[in-house]
Formats: sequence, structure tokens, C-alpha cells
Amino acid sequence: MDIKPFHEIITQLKVSSYMSVKEWFINRYRDMGSTLTGDETTPQSIRVNPLKTSDTELIQTLTEQGVQLEKIPYLDHGYKVLSSPFSLGANLEYLFGFYSLQETASQYPVQTLSPTSLDKLLDMASAPGGKTTQAATYMNNQGVIMALDISRKRLFATENNLERCGVTNTSIHHIDALNLPDRPAFTKILLDAPCSGNFVTDPYWFSKRTTQDIARNADLQKKLLSKAINLLESGGTLVYATCSLEPEENEFNIQWLLENHQVKLIELGKAGSPAVTDIGDIKLDSQISYCRRFWPDKTGTQGFFVAQVMKP
Amino acid sequence: MRLLKRFLTDLGSKYEPGKVVSINNKRFTSSIKPPVDFPNLVYTGTYLGQNRERFEPSSILLQLLGVELNTHKVYVDRETAWLFVVSKNVFEENIIKSVGLRLGGYVLVMYEDFCIGYGRYETSHNRRIIRNLYDIGDFLRREQE
Repeated sequence: MDIKPFHEIITQLKVSSYMSVKEWFINRYRDMGSTLTGDETTPQSIRVNPLKTSDTELIQTLTEQGVQLEKIPYLDHGYKVLSSPFSLGANLEYLFGFYSLQETASQYPVQTLSPTSLDKLLDMASAPGGKTTQAATYMNNQGVIMALDISRKRLFATENNLERCGVTNTSIHHIDALNLPDRPAFTKILLDAPCSGNFVTDPYWFSKRTTQDIARNADLQKKLLSKAINLLESGGTLVYATCSLEPEENEFNIQWLLENHQVKLIELGKAGSPAVTDIGDIKLDSQISYCRRFWPDKTGTQGFFVAQVMKP
Repeated sequence: MRLLKRFLTDLGSKYEPGKVVSINNKRFTSSIKPPVDFPNLVYTGTYLGQNRERFEPSSILLQLLGVELNTHKVYVDRETAWLFVVSKNVFEENIIKSVGLRLGGYVLVMYEDFCIGYGRYETSHNRRIIRNLYDIGDFLRREQE
């Protein structure tokens, strides 16, 4: 999908400066049907680790310590933190690996993929490992997870998370997924792709993002999507996710995937909104509405996009 | 293997890790059958710990040893447990219960059913203490690195 028009718009913006970058992006999101203001935030949330404890036990323990939690209805083990008298990233239960701090929307991709103990799962960009540990819980620490990342520094966080959460079915490799040989060996693949992020989790987002970044990321994401399909067994499923609100990194990439690979989109439900298929003058395949978009103003989460495809 | 074996022996453990995989100074046991061989392995299966000046156990190994009947242990309350995981020693008077405790010996430090680290029972400034040799608060310290 050509994103040149956006480049042209941002160039004009720089010349005329008649609106701020923030306004430009917000207007763009509004053109896609959102009512974002650009000031949305997301509350802290946790995910219970069933490899180590149960929801009931943990919630009781934390409640006794004065923590107020609210179940997130569309997540299996996710809870919104209403209030806590201490930092939830520094108490005994956290150190025991009973829970992880994981933003609400980012818990959705692995739940969607829902790997089992029979799966051979590839996590193509695993650092810092929150989703990897979540996948291990669905697999009950069985099957195989191969977790990769291009950044050795960030993989230390993945290692720490696996250890803390008691994960034992995972191998970590410091490797760029694009360098893997094309061999269909995995029944499930998680591509939580490197992306432009969103303003909800980064207060400086508007001041540092350009459409050139978005184009660069979209290009990388397409390459990763192609690689993922080549590594997926027939009958296997891929979940693609980004924490970007930009259509070039989301809907346009899925349109490109449908046009360039033999895959079948799977309809997702429960959380967020259907992905957008009319963006300005661009009309996308109507099936793209099967994917889910998390608009921060509607979900109270960060921006997120999730798609699931099956390789026939 | 030498440091790992000594660590297990010092704690009275009968745990047999089986085939140990070494990745740099880290030790693992793994029965993972990868569907494809990828290069640059940095972590696999059950992380046991790493060789430093002495063997530094993983929290996974500590939990395995914590449920083992043979291992030497002391039990502490929540407040003492928290002080221990922020690198403090345990004073003898804060030990609720002990198994296999002897002066100069090594013990796991337990809070309820959970092992939070290990230390050495010794005398310091005329007080008996469990000197903190490793605690699971290391996660937080690593996260800040």
C-alpha cells in the first residue's frame, strides 16, 4: 500500500506550520473514526501467572495488602489496578513471579493466539518477554517456544522474566528473525512487531514521530510478515500485533499480506473495535475488519492492533 | 559443574540436575526439542544459575530446593523476608523455624513455601545472623541495570 500521500501532507505541514504535529495525527485518527484527544492515558494492569498461583489466591493476597483491582472482562487473567499503597513492581508476590505488570491491550495478542502444550511457537521479537511468559502459561510450560530478538541488551529482560515467572519450555536466541532460513517449522507464530508506538505510553511521542519513521517501520513489518508466513507450517496460525495507531503499520500491512501470501484472515472478537477498512480515499478488503483495533478513547488502553491469519 | 555441585552439597540437597547445558557462565537443564536449529542460543529450558565468585542460583532452582525435604532451611516472617530481599542479613531472633541449621553452614531462607534466597549462618559483631549471599530481589536490581 502506498503511503506517499501522508508524506506529502507532512511536508506541507512543515512548510505551512498551520497545525501542530499532534493536531495532524489527531485529525488523522479522527478521519479514521476515532474521537481521540491525544491526552488519553492507560491505568496500570497486571496479569496473573497461572504457572505459579491462581487468580483467586493472588487477588485475595493483594487485596489484603490494600491493592484494589478490577477484572478486565475480555482478558483471561488481566486486572486493572485501581489503587495500590505500594509499587506493584517491587513486592514479594512480584518477585515470586505470581504476576507481571502488563498493559491491558498487550495481553490480548497471546490470548488470541492461545498456544497449547502441543504447539511449536515462534516469538519473533520477544524482548522484553512479557508475551513470551504469557504464552508459556497457555502452554502449561510444555511444547516449545523459540524466542528471538535482535537486541541482546533487551533479551536480558526476557531472560529475567522467564526466570521470575518459572518458564522452562523456552529457548532464547539472539538473532534477527529476518536472517532465519525459510523453513516451515512452527505451528504458531507471534509477531509483536517493532513499531512506531503510540502517544498513550510515550508522553514525547508527538514530538519525535514523523511519517518517515512510520514508512520505515511499515517496510520492516512487511518483511517480517513474509518471513513469518515462510516459517509457519500449513494449518498454522500467526498473530500479528503492533502498539501503533498508524494504518500503514496495521490495516495496510494486512491488506499487503492478503495480496502477497496465501493466508486466511480469522475473525477476532471480544475486545476493541473492528479494524478500519475505509481510510480517506483508500478502500481495503472488507475482511480486514476481522482484525481488532484498540482506540485508547474507547478501550481505556494504549493504542493497539491485532490480526490473526491461518496458513492453509 | 563444580560450583553448582558444591552449592547443592552445601545446602544438603540431593537434587540431580541431569545433563547440564552451559551457555557462557550460565547453567541450564533442558529437554527442549527445537523444531529447527537456530544460532546464538542465550537461554534454554530450566535456568539453574550462573558461576560467579560462587554459584549464584536461579529462583527456579531455589524453588526446587525449597520443596526438597533434605535441604537446610530457615523460615522467616514477611517483614524479615522483605528485608532479606533488599540484601539485608537475617538476625537469629527473626528465625521462626529452622531445619539443618548449624554454625558455618549454608541455609535456604524461606517465606512460607517460597524460597527467597540463601545465606550462611555465622557470627557477626557478637550476633548470630544468616548472612545474605543471594536473594531474589536481584531481579529488581537487574531491572535497574
